Amino acid sequence: MDEAALIRAAQAGDQDAFERLVRDYDQSVLRLAMNLLRSPEDAHDVYQEAFLRVFRNLPNFRFDCNFNTWLYRIVTNLCLDHLRKKKVRKTESAVVETEDGPLDRLDAVAEERASSDPQRALLSTEIRGRIQEVLAGMTARERMVFEMRHFHGMRLRAIGESLGTTEEAAKNCLFRATQKMRSALGEFV
Amino acid sequence: MNCDTARQQLVLFLYAELSFEEEELLEQHLDACAGCRAERARLDKMGALLDAAEPEVPAGLLARCRRDLASALVQERRRQSPAALLRGFWSKWVVSPPLWMRPVGAVAMLAIGFFGARFVPAHSPALAQMGVPQDPPPVISKVRLVNPDSTGQVRVQYDEVRQRELRGHLDDDRIRRLLLAAAADPADPGLRVDSIDILKNQTSDNEVRRALLNALRADTNSGVRLKALDALRPYASDPETRQVLAQVLLTDDNPGVRTQAIDLLVQSKEPDVVGVLQQLLRQEDNSYVRSRSQKALNDMKASVGTF
Repeated sequence: MDEAALIRAAQAGDQDAFERLVRDYDQSVLRLAMNLLRSPEDAHDVYQEAFLRVFRNLPNFRFDCNFNTWLYRIVTNLCLDHLRKKKVRKTESAVVETEDGPLDRLDAVAEERASSDPQRALLSTEIRGRIQEVLAGMTARERMVFEMRHFHGMRLRAIGESLGTTEEAAKNCLFRATQKMRSALGEFV
Repeated sequence: MNCDTARQQLVLFLYAELSFEEEELLEQHLDACAGCRAERARLDKMGALLDAAEPEVPAGLLARCRRDLASALVQERRRQSPAALLRGFWSKWVVSPPLWMRPVGAVAMLAIGFFGARFVPAHSPALAQMGVPQDPPPVISKVRLVNPDSTGQVRVQYDEVRQRELRGHLDDDRIRRLLLAAAADPADPGLRVDSIDILKNQTSDNEVRRALLNALRADTNSGVRLKALDALRPYASDPETRQVLAQVLLTDDNPGVRTQAIDLLVQSKEPDVVGVLQQLLRQEDNSYVRSRSQKALNDMKASVGTF
């Protein structure tokens, strides 16, 4: 069954079709949310809310744009909200309680990488810190465009559509974000 | 093309966002300019550093998201069911109607009462039964439709839900079916645990075993999943069970479930478990589960260092 048929079946109430649609996209949605928010809990919340919104609004989907674009528009809006809230909550601690005791989220991310990929293990903590700083210093839109283009390989046109802006505006965001990253990592490249 | 323009376009070039003509011009410039070639190499290296710094999705997060979504969708579907819509209508227009509707409603009720009484015969059986004890009302009733007609009568369509009790042995098909339904009741994890606990004596039945495997794979409550794991203990060497156990071991977000899955998988000492445990070691971040996995590999004299 092609995607349009799958969407129509899901619109008619076919639960299996809806589940297949979710399975087709949910890994990339989770990865995008994880990249943008750098927090498993926030990524989990965005995943839930995004697919619930898709479920609620699918009957109104009229194929005016790609399903992919529509879904990413929902996800990016949710991520933008989270990022803006995070900017407001500047005092939020990076330390979370886990069953193994208190854990710094950034340390956890580094450890996961080190354990699974030798190239990641070689990447110094300093560079990671620098990348984090630059990402945190970007505007929410710059960061979205940068993450969607660099890590998700989305075309600037599709990114513009997802963010409700033009390809040209997305191009400018990408350019500014890359310049910031380039300046911050200058001594390492 | 000068170097300033070339360096501005390099970013878009690396992301393949330039047109064919723009790429041609830039490549010609790169062939002739060592400085811009070096800048391109630096941007390539920056890309590699960024790729290595991409956060990984933690093990088990996707499975947890899927389970939580499945459970949220069950609630959502209930909320959107016709009964819920009717309840919404009932609550909005009958229980607490807008202020402007209230006088209209009051007059309508008076009119229905007045004309209704005029049309009821003096010796109506309905009046004769007034004050006489009736059958006890149904335990729960859900009103589906209210429809007043021109004679002043109201047609009410409703569902009755009555509690019934059934006693019987596990070999009674009706008991078994009810237990299977209860084992999948999304509203009550306690009921699911109790039902699975009873069904575990019936694992030779394929339908029961499939229900247990489903609970282990997809139940949102870790207590229920643990109970299903326990019930599947006698089938630790069954290929389908082992396949689900391996999947659970690599995706379940609960360390207790993962630990139990290791115990069951190594119980029958099948060689297929080695690869699964090695894969687990590559992604597991819980120290206890890691140590159990390492110990299991050591006990089987399998390598832990090939990953």
